[in-house]
Amino acid sequence: MKYFYSKYIIVESLVEEMHTLDLSDDERHHLAALVDSQLHHAILDEILSNLSEKDKELFLDQMNEDPENENIMDFLKGKVDNIEEKIRMISDQLVKELHSDVKEAKRIK
Amino acid sequence: MNFTSKKPYYEHLRKKWIAKHRSLANKLFEKHKEVGRQLAVGGLGGLMLLTTPGTGIMPHQNILVAGGQIQKDTDNNILLAKDLEDKIPKEMRALTKEEELEISGIVSKNTGFNVSAELEGKRLNRSYGVIGGEQHLYRFPGDNLHKHADNAADWAMYGSSGIAPGLGAWGYFAPSEVQFDDKAKMQERYYLAVQTFLAPGFAERVAEYRDFFKFRKMLVVNPQTGQSVVAVIGDAGPAEWTGKHLGGSPEVMHFLGLSKGSRKGPVLYFFMDDPEDKIPLGPVKVEENLAQI
Repeated sequence: MKYFYSKYIIVESLVEEMHTLDLSDDERHHLAALVDSQLHHAILDEILSNLSEKDKELFLDQMNEDPENENIMDFLKGKVDNIEEKIRMISDQLVKELHSDVKEAKRIK
Repeated sequence: MNFTSKKPYYEHLRKKWIAKHRSLANKLFEKHKEVGRQLAVGGLGGLMLLTTPGTGIMPHQNILVAGGQIQKDTDNNILLAKDLEDKIPKEMRALTKEEELEISGIVSKNTGFNVSAELEGKRLNRSYGVIGGEQHLYRFPGDNLHKHADNAADWAMYGSSGIAPGLGAWGYFAPSEVQFDDKAKMQERYYLAVQTFLAPGFAERVAEYRDFFKFRKMLVVNPQTGQSVVAVIGDAGPAEWTGKHLGGSPEVMHFLGLSKGSRKGPVLYFFMDDPEDKIPLGPVKVEENLAQI
């Protein structure tokens, strides 16, 4: 599932690390779903924390209608300073954490 | 400890990430209670159920990971498949020109696109053949397999297809990563390899045919399901001895419903008349296209 913020997320290092794990199709899809969903929750929290109650409703209405619509970013840019940077930072931080988790998991025998 | 997998690293990650996921979800719903209903409408409530793979507990999430396209497109394209049912030869062979005309007419009527086996006096060696799964292609110098994933679901879905060691027939899709744009990204995502070298007239006018085929837009249809994808010619192949007549990128194969098992199957493929480049690449949603006419 792509979201309006997809272009600000870089998962390259994380999936490269995950690619080294021996996983079945189900396991791979499940871990991937957990990664994307964690990122989605973290990014939504960051966005909502920077919006007024009224704007939260407007934003969620737009996202529920078409989560891929890149015009949502235009709406957010008008409401929150440096929203792209905020999304980048929160996702980078989480990707780093998840990357460390994979490295840690690989050490388990 | 009650592990359900023989892979302790997987169990470790699964448990850790489910716990993290729950924590993030709880934080989100607690912190933004006033819009909790809208968050739940968006499917986030259902995501809190993520537990183990293959249990059927997270059907909504499975659809999300797949981009929702296969199920939707199958439903929307069933009529096309039914219309094609008794028009497609029982055996695998090239269509006659009369068959091409009738079948491309049916496809045009059902999809709303103007498609044909011949365009500007040029045609391929056939318009009905066996498609096989191809690998990803390098898109710009310095590209790698992992850069192809927009998100983890992309990696899970397409990463195992790998990346071809050589470049496609037209070289890189962009001269550098800086110049790599959304258009080039979509062209690699939805590319076909067709037997340009077997096209009638190709040997006599190589340069002219090469330019005509380069990133030429085509519609590929799985006649058994009606699943259809708009793609570009991004490579030449496969060789005749393979028994296959064309190849599809991992994404094309996925949206044709041919990404499992032997990763091949019979398809129709026609040129699209789109001189202004208005038709987007990717899976076709028949109802939406007809609504736009």
